Amino acid sequence: MSSLTIPQFPAYQFQITLFQNVSNAETIRSKIADLSYAFIDPKLIVSQEQLYSAIYKALIEQKYNRLRTKTLHSECLFCLGPTSNIGDAFKKFGIKDDSRELICLKVINLSDNNDVKEDLDGIIDGERIVFNDDNLSKFYDRELIRKTYKLDKHFVPGNTEELSRALVNAIQLRGL
Amino acid sequence: MVNLNTIAPKNGRSYYIALGLEGSANKLGVGVIKHPILKEQEIGDHSHDCHAEILSNIRDTYTTPPGEGFLPRDTARHHRNWCVRLIKRALKEAKINDPRLDLDVICFTKGPGMGAPLHSVVIAARTCSLLWDIPLVRVNHCVGHIEMGREITKAVNPVVLYVSGGNTQVIAYSENRYRIFGETLDIAIGNCLDRFARTLKIPNAPSPGYNIEQLANKCKNKDQLVELPYTVKGMDLSMSGILAYIDSLAKDLFKGNKKNKILFDTKTGEQKVTVEDLCYSLQENLFAMLVEITERAMAHVNTSQVLIVGGVGCNVRLQEMMAQMCKDRANGQVHATDERFCIDNGVMIAQAGLLQYRMGDVVKDLKETIVTQKFRTDEVYVSWRE
Amino acid sequence: MSQELVDQVSKYLTPAIPIEPISQGAEAVVFTTTIHPYLPTINEKQKFIIKYRPAKRYRHPIIDRSLTKHRTLSESRLLAKLYQIPGIHVPKLIACDPYNGCIWLEFLGEDLPDAFGFSNLKNFLWMHASENQNPYGDIVRETLFKVGEQIGLLHWNDYCHGDLTSSNIVLVKKDEKWEPYLIDFGLGSTSNLVEDKGVDLYVLERAILSTHSSYAEKYNEWLIEGFSEVYKSNGKQGAKKLNEVMKRFGEVRLRGRKRSMLG
Repeated sequence: MSSLTIPQFPAYQFQITLFQNVSNAETIRSKIADLSYAFIDPKLIVSQEQLYSAIYKALIEQKYNRLRTKTLHSECLFCLGPTSNIGDAFKKFGIKDDSRELICLKVINLSDNNDVKEDLDGIIDGERIVFNDDNLSKFYDRELIRKTYKLDKHFVPGNTEELSRALVNAIQLRGL
Repeated sequence: MVNLNTIAPKNGRSYYIALGLEGSANKLGVGVIKHPILKEQEIGDHSHDCHAEILSNIRDTYTTPPGEGFLPRDTARHHRNWCVRLIKRALKEAKINDPRLDLDVICFTKGPGMGAPLHSVVIAARTCSLLWDIPLVRVNHCVGHIEMGREITKAVNPVVLYVSGGNTQVIAYSENRYRIFGETLDIAIGNCLDRFARTLKIPNAPSPGYNIEQLANKCKNKDQLVELPYTVKGMDLSMSGILAYIDSLAKDLFKGNKKNKILFDTKTGEQKVTVEDLCYSLQENLFAMLVEITERAMAHVNTSQVLIVGGVGCNVRLQEMMAQMCKDRANGQVHATDERFCIDNGVMIAQAGLLQYRMGDVVKDLKETIVTQKFRTDEVYVSWRE
Repeated sequence: MSQELVDQVSKYLTPAIPIEPISQGAEAVVFTTTIHPYLPTINEKQKFIIKYRPAKRYRHPIIDRSLTKHRTLSESRLLAKLYQIPGIHVPKLIACDPYNGCIWLEFLGEDLPDAFGFSNLKNFLWMHASENQNPYGDIVRETLFKVGEQIGLLHWNDYCHGDLTSSNIVLVKKDEKWEPYLIDFGLGSTSNLVEDKGVDLYVLERAILSTHSSYAEKYNEWLIEGFSEVYKSNGKQGAKKLNEVMKRFGEVRLRGRKRSMLG
């Protein structure tokens, strides 16, 4: 599990876990309303930077009272997308019934003492691996990403870093 | 090394006296200035502190009825009618009894400006020069404003915002030239204000710009600004678009065009915007643009001082805004002169002309005294500075 | 830069982000920081740029808010779009907060030797104009040519910078040579109008003329050479468009020189 704090927003901690060989995606999806996590499809995530930049954006939006979704973790999911269509973002970036990998994002409000310790291993039937760019590179779908983020056809990134940069751009500018 | 005492004053005097004649637009100005000869001015860069004494500063403005602008032919006629009177009065006030002995040089505006009026004034200059056997110096109108501004305010090396009816330039000195960093891409700000004043049919006396300023001050709705196009392009700005737009708003207002949602409430037809509001919004926008391009030049050249010259420089709101901007850039200062020197006058021509004269610049043949409508500020070789 | 301004920014960024002021441009103040807004610190020496557009008190609040937001967005959008164009060098956009006029960018450039300051084109040219340096040396020519190429690519793709001065071009060292990066797109825009491109070129020409007067003629020549190469490498269409831009550039120049100025 990776732990992230955003310097400008010390009140929150983000816990990110990457799972592979997941066998019960459909079950997880049916329970999503009751769980306080975001379940993200790694097919669209190329780097830590990309996900973290979406988290940053969600925090900024919250700061100025511009949350479009109900919770901060759902906002993070929404912020991954390049468009302002919430339903679309959830559909594309959330896990699917047949997803074999997933990224689990939990938002912990450090000032909130009612932290329900949910047992991730009880919910997800899969294998935890380190959440890093190397592992992510095994799962992301280049073509799907190009299509989802509407990347220019002349733009041919030579490596993950270059691809990630273009996605971060789209994320930062969404809705503006 | 700049030696301002290159040419000695006439008749072994310990000071120079120059007569300046200005008439590039509708103001006819005659001024007499005195520079003492100072030893320290032989080395270094002292042209901003000549210890100048203004012996006289006379001006007469040709004002047209409301709704009309001034035309070259009529302006030239005004200048011809008034110049002898003004020159006599200026010399009397300066206690110049015998110009032949007391004057070192006669300075006139070579340009830029309106052809016919410039021409009327240069004829007076040439005549006096031949009559009294006094050398002539040709001066660039903008440089006149700059040098007068520097002398009055003692600002050593500010960014100069030159704003008048005919000019809008941001100038900074570099390597013997007043270089134009930013300017208007179409009309001058004074022109923009004057033309709007004509649309509003407000009086032209004392000046249309002044009357717009007064109306703007009376605006009761300062929180609601009428949205106008904001057109800064890099270091330059464009104003013809704003003028066209605000002119059309004013016309709609006069016509009572209720369809205009900005001016009239769609449901009640009540008028939301007054003439005062328009004047206020116009000033806020135009001046914000000017302050912005000035700030750009300051950042690029790395200076914290601004000098505002030219007729529009009299506007208190502009001075206020500029001062606020300078203050927010640590140690910044704005310098401005009052209406005696902001508005076109003869003394500024004498000041710049005398600096030129002291460095050896003088007309050798009357053929050189042709006036010109187009004369860029950066065409002048500034020999009196390092 | 006034302490008040620094304090204002510090407050917004919180004490978790230490900042070092580096310059105050006309509309934005620039800081560096060693803390990334959302990535954990990788190495102690990392540096990022924070560009903050403070509210300008001199102008009416309505004008101010509108301009700040518009310029912040405009710049961010351009950086994102230009990044995807092969060959164009712009800094990386890391984060954007338009509600506060704040952008985070990658840090580009370095300090030039002998206290000539930061490696923007302006300081680079001043350095080469100093004693014992050759203002017309190969490295100057090559670098200016490349700058011209960057602008050529920008214009060829129908974008305009809007504020081309030698302070807005940062040089990044790469294998002993300098690669120019265009920065500061606050006044930039998409435009296919020759007028805008002509004005862009004219603004740069004047900027070079004003701050590097003695060598300006040659410098501007080299810039245009690089610029033209980009267009010429696009066949007949490129050559035709180049002609149009150059022609308009000439007209804009004349407009300046011959602009009728009345008292």
